[in-house]
Amino acid sequence: MNERELMTALRGLADVRAPATVLEHVLDEVGLGDQYAELSSPLGPVFVAWNRLGVSAVMKTSTPQEFEERFAARFHRSPRRADDGLPPTLAEKFDLRSVTEFERAVLLKAREIPKGEVRTYAWIAAQIGHPAAVRAVGSALRKNPVPVLIPCHRVVRSDGHIGEYALGGSANKRTILAAEGVRPEAVADLARQWRAERAMVG
Amino acid sequence: MNDDQGLATRLASDLDSHFEELVRTFQDRLYGFALRMLSSPQDAEEAAQDTFVRAYRALERYPDDRVSTLRLRPWLYQIALNVVRNRVRRPALTQVDIEYDLASQTRDEQPEGATVSNETFAELSTAITRLPERYATAVVLRHVQGLSYAEAAEILDQPVGTTKSDVHRGLRLLREALEPEFEPLLVGEHR
Repeated sequence: MNERELMTALRGLADVRAPATVLEHVLDEVGLGDQYAELSSPLGPVFVAWNRLGVSAVMKTSTPQEFEERFAARFHRSPRRADDGLPPTLAEKFDLRSVTEFERAVLLKAREIPKGEVRTYAWIAAQIGHPAAVRAVGSALRKNPVPVLIPCHRVVRSDGHIGEYALGGSANKRTILAAEGVRPEAVADLARQWRAERAMVG
Repeated sequence: MNDDQGLATRLASDLDSHFEELVRTFQDRLYGFALRMLSSPQDAEEAAQDTFVRAYRALERYPDDRVSTLRLRPWLYQIALNVVRNRVRRPALTQVDIEYDLASQTRDEQPEGATVSNETFAELSTAITRLPERYATAVVLRHVQGLSYAEAAEILDQPVGTTKSDVHRGLRLLREALEPEFEPLLVGEHR
């Protein structure tokens, strides 16, 4: 083997990938790995995952296996079942690494909407300084990794429709709003109010 | 290098949010380094994990201004080197796994234009782990991992001239080891 062949062979040895378990074990070891538990919600049992940064996911699936699969597909990490429930210190913190800065702003604004009230997509857009980005607000809310806990269900369309919902569609959105004491007419009222305000501004 | 600096700054501002990025950025390199030094995929995986956990604990302790100015790549290699050295010293971890699925450690795709057989990769891989550690480390850092002599010397904490001569000596030992008439006695005597 001449020198050039040796160099080529040595460079070829560098071409390896770390097994996926490296990242998983390291994050677990330092407390950044995800654990999950089944918790009750107005929509029935949901699976909630968390790590040191806060709650990382809320999903409604029929089995723990299905939750693990959907979590791994979305976040490229494998959660493991917790021995205990969600630590109270984490319930108010969120791991929003998987969303963009814009989506984060939308979600944190949605979090300010009090229980029992609703706002429109356009309201969020205006509040975060992107009044024209109404559609983008809708898609950011659909991607909410932690529905229920970040109440994206309290955001509805300006035309009086209830809009989509990250956790199983508009029927679930109606259910959870009703559980929070929002009357069905409130959404339509809000739409009328919004149109009236726009008419005045216009 | 600029990307590494950006990552160091992000780690200083929020370690927990950016640590995963550090692992993703460097895990293939550090696992590859450990694999060449230890030969067993199992040991290499544990060494890579150990390296990152130690890095995390250190980053937790360091003041922010130290973290933001860290040269991440050489720093991580230094930790990996310590981890690897500790493992090599342990008698239970001698090279029992040398023949373990060597073909699968090398990729099917060859480097451009080269014709290196998996058999050659396997022989070379074994020959590296049989080199005295200082030569193995120097050769792996410079010619497998592709670092400059300056960066390799920084990692090894020695003058560049020493690294250069260790690399040359290591390459010569490797070529001798890969000549059929010498195999495998010559490198064996250095252990």
